[in-house]
Amino acid sequence: MSALLLNEISEKLQRGKAKDVAALVSQALEENIDPESILNQGLVSGMNVIGEKFRNNQVFVPEVLVAARAMNAGLKILKPALAGAGVEPLGTAVICTVKGDMHDIGKNLVKMMIEGQGIACIDLGVDVDPQVIVDTVRDNDVQLVCLSALLTTTMHGQKDVIDALVAAGLRDKVRVMVGGAPITQEFASEIGADCYTLDAASAAKEAKRLIGEMRG
Amino acid sequence: MSMTASERFRRYLSGQSVDRMPVIEWAPWWHLTLGRWYGEGLPPECNSVDAVQGYFGLDRCLQTGVSYFTPASPTVIPGSGIGCMEDQADWERILPTLFPDVRTVIPEAHFDYLRATHERGDTLNFFTVEGFFWYPRVLFGIENHLYSFYDYPELYKQMCEAYSDWLIELFDYVFSRFHFDFMSFAEDMSYNSGPMISQACFDEFLAPFYKKVIPVIHKHGIPVFIDSDGDITMAVDWYAKVGADGMFPLERQAGVDVSTYLDKQPHMAFLGHFDKMCMKHGKDAMRAEFERILPSMQRGKVIASVDHQTPPDVSIDHYRDYATLLHEYAARITHEGGDISPCPVFAEQERSES
Repeated sequence: MSALLLNEISEKLQRGKAKDVAALVSQALEENIDPESILNQGLVSGMNVIGEKFRNNQVFVPEVLVAARAMNAGLKILKPALAGAGVEPLGTAVICTVKGDMHDIGKNLVKMMIEGQGIACIDLGVDVDPQVIVDTVRDNDVQLVCLSALLTTTMHGQKDVIDALVAAGLRDKVRVMVGGAPITQEFASEIGADCYTLDAASAAKEAKRLIGEMRG
Repeated sequence: MSMTASERFRRYLSGQSVDRMPVIEWAPWWHLTLGRWYGEGLPPECNSVDAVQGYFGLDRCLQTGVSYFTPASPTVIPGSGIGCMEDQADWERILPTLFPDVRTVIPEAHFDYLRATHERGDTLNFFTVEGFFWYPRVLFGIENHLYSFYDYPELYKQMCEAYSDWLIELFDYVFSRFHFDFMSFAEDMSYNSGPMISQACFDEFLAPFYKKVIPVIHKHGIPVFIDSDGDITMAVDWYAKVGADGMFPLERQAGVDVSTYLDKQPHMAFLGHFDKMCMKHGKDAMRAEFERILPSMQRGKVIASVDHQTPPDVSIDHYRDYATLLHEYAARITHEGGDISPCPVFAEQERSES
């Protein structure tokens, strides 16, 4: 019975049915299904399917957005139960667009997909000064920094952040992932980033791997 | 064989022989790039797109755009991604403030200017409006627009219905006053991994409106280009199906390969595709890039041009080298004796004349 219900949560999430997902999560809790199973076999499982389909051009940005919204609707119901059961996020990522870059659709997509992996995100928004990122890394238990840049004129801002982390002695505390339209693997390697991914689904997968590395 | 810019462009898109490929930049230069070049010797009097094009010896290619906003419309800050409406009630509130009288959107003096540039013989003029992806995105804002396909599907169609009705009136008026060489719909529907929406979404929300307005533009004998950045490999087929004649800018950084487009859509024209990222590496790198595109230029209606504005890391000397190479390769493309199919607009005209 619980497997059927968790599967239904996953399916409704994939179709972006936020109200249904919230109702089914409530039902699952009422049926005493443990919160971690609801999270992993219901919500995260659904987002994983969406992520894979997104990577394969089987679903597109609107479908990812409505699925992520459904995930958040479910998470809102589930969070108190997760906290009560002592279930922690896999880790924490800081995410933003770099100084001078106001374009956040890619950043927002990556954030949603990363959260869909059970990772907490500190979203610093757009046009973020390197020092703000350094301060956030210093003041929080962060394992991953995700930097987005859409323009060839702003992409070098990613290097500025990495340099600032080095200068602050924090480079070894975190992994740095970069992405955005003009970014290539060659550029990512050149500026000393740990990871470049082509799309949001791959970013989420890599985020999980990198945080796993950092947390041993 | 001496040709005006308009004659050359029309013959090129008709699959007929030409004296050379058009040598154009469709987009204005970034202010950062121009800022650098002024410091490297670009004369200060080169302070317009027209003047910069002339300085580098390019064919003139001038864009005329219009807005569907009126002074009473809500303010939308360009590039902010923040819209001015969320739902049906908002739409009904702002609708009366949109879509000005089409006779007022282009000042008479601008029509005079367009005619003068056309008579000079060295200028291509193109007309630009927002497409059926871009226009709702402006009104909804970036994120709400993407949700709207699921949250407000009927509203989306109402908005496009109203816009397409206005566009038809606009096209009939504007094109009866001046014959543009081509027109473009600004879309930016793709990013570096492909289109933002599915084909099903395109077919339901965009295609009906393109099918409604493109025949009106074609009736005036004007080819239609779609301007979409990013990887358009999937979207090129969708736009072909609704009657588009061409696309630009075909960004290499997004993995676009125009030769594959010529295989599947040989009747379409393609503008751009010269990898802007190679320009900073100098003449040899740029020659190699032209050599990559040359076979496509030889077998189809490809107009090589920077694939979306020269970046500011390119010096003026490197841009001069680019312009020289562009002329050199353009001269090699005459399509003499070639078997090049015409764009849909000209194929339709051929059919109706025969």
